[in-house]
Amino acid sequence: MAQNQRPASILDTLGEEIVRIITPVSICMLMVVILVSILSLDDSSSSSAMPTIATIAYSETGSDSSWDKFMGALLNSLVFVAVVTAVTFILVLLFYLRCTNFLKIYLGFSAFVVLAFMGGEIALFLFEKFSFPIDCVTFLVILYNFAVVGVLAVFISKMAILVTQAYLVVIGMLVAYWFTLLPEWTTWVLLVAMALYDLAAVLLPVGPLRLLVELAISRDEDIPALVYEARPVAHHDSGSRDGVVRRRVWSERRNVLHDSGGDVNSNAILSGNAGSNLNSGVVLSVASGHNDTRLAGAEEGRVVEANAELSAPLIDRRMNDNMHRQEEDGTSENLLLEGIGLGSTGAIKLGLGDFIFYSVLVGRAAMYDFMTVYACYLAIVAGLGVTLMLLAFYQKALPALPVSIMLGVLFYLLTRLLLEVFVVQCSMNLVMF
Amino acid sequence: MDASQSNDRNPNPNPRGNNGNSITSSTPVWPTIDGPLGLTEDDSLSYARKFYQFGFALLPFLWAVNCFYFWPVLRHSASFPRIRHYVLGSAVGFAVFTVVLLSWALTFAIGGEHLFGSVWDKLVMYNVAERLGLTGWS
Repeated sequence: MAQNQRPASILDTLGEEIVRIITPVSICMLMVVILVSILSLDDSSSSSAMPTIATIAYSETGSDSSWDKFMGALLNSLVFVAVVTAVTFILVLLFYLRCTNFLKIYLGFSAFVVLAFMGGEIALFLFEKFSFPIDCVTFLVILYNFAVVGVLAVFISKMAILVTQAYLVVIGMLVAYWFTLLPEWTTWVLLVAMALYDLAAVLLPVGPLRLLVELAISRDEDIPALVYEARPVAHHDSGSRDGVVRRRVWSERRNVLHDSGGDVNSNAILSGNAGSNLNSGVVLSVASGHNDTRLAGAEEGRVVEANAELSAPLIDRRMNDNMHRQEEDGTSENLLLEGIGLGSTGAIKLGLGDFIFYSVLVGRAAMYDFMTVYACYLAIVAGLGVTLMLLAFYQKALPALPVSIMLGVLFYLLTRLLLEVFVVQCSMNLVMF
Repeated sequence: MDASQSNDRNPNPNPRGNNGNSITSSTPVWPTIDGPLGLTEDDSLSYARKFYQFGFALLPFLWAVNCFYFWPVLRHSASFPRIRHYVLGSAVGFAVFTVVLLSWALTFAIGGEHLFGSVWDKLVMYNVAERLGLTGWS
């Protein structure tokens, strides 16, 4: 009898899953911080930034008083949140009227715009900054390749996992960088406003995201959305439970939700396309895994079940089951939005909007000093951990923004106002650090 | 009981039942790099073919992604004869295109003004961007 390896402890499996979601978030934040520090402009020149939805009500200038800036920022944020709410309700309506094709095309189009135009602009900034001698032909070819493959990665449900994940992180990074170009007060108040909106939209019964999720659940459909889905952790148990790998408690619970062999997965995505070509929103994803049937099917040699394994975030969950009624096959992409949930095989899904707003917070902190970056990074990761714990506890889609953003803003203020003075004085007097 | 246990313990059922490979053989079962999370062999064929054909639309990066995605096919090319044709074609196409593009880009970058004269200034990207006002946005 073969010797069993030591049984996988909770650290291996649960820790691995958490690491697999924190790693891309950290990479996104790191890249935004790098971009911000390389391309940082002084405040005076960036305050006259391009007009966007987020600055439509008030454009911050350096000379206003703090109270004016705050009121202006508040106005901006209210406008932005109102626009996002309106667009989300439109999304709910479209989903209700089953215009899924339109949503998918819209998704592909926005991914293309973000990658080609925003990505191109940022590449141009970098080339100008470093005087990199690239010619326009090469540049256009490379940009075209990059954008088209990115759209394919977002569109196609069965692209290489790594490629899809990489492109989602890149899209999040690009959008987050553009958000950091907003004026300072507006950014901070906007972050807090979006966190509150997320909380309301996901948890209130009248919230658009909750409506979207319930609609998707009741119809057993997927919502097209950009959602990052972590690779599932393979549990190599000693076969005690006939190979059913997911020992996650909450995966089993969904049995009641769907018919036999069905895989209920609903991803709510929110997509508010603000004038600055932004997709932001709140995403919830509620996924359920029905591993038993899947694995049993696999053992029978039904290869179609293999598709059920959690892979690319854009996978059409319904493809793997014996549910025959899906109209489109395999192309319901998950669009981006904030929110956190569980993939169909128990892996964690995080909406791209969460990536974006976390990175915006850290990017803004980077515009001040690296000390705030460290503090905010730790706060966000801690908030994400708390949200994951809540997810495990409540087993339904949850907003991922509120805890992290609140902690991040709090730590930013504390660091900037209190810690910096302390650290600088200590360093100057060679006491510590 | 032993048989059922070993079945249960096998996480990678071999879909190609007629292959005659035993479980202990090193032939890969899944043609994609994602393994059991990726495509089956039939789906892989259509994907590989589509990637290969679309790559001709001036998309060498798609060819590169094709090679990356079907890396097991390249490594164990004997076991996936049909897919191998497309993946090899993609690899060759990507290599050729990269050589061409790289040589042009390097000539441009290293040659600079000496080689091109005044045309260099007109072609280099940051000047083009400035002329068209692409970066004047921020």
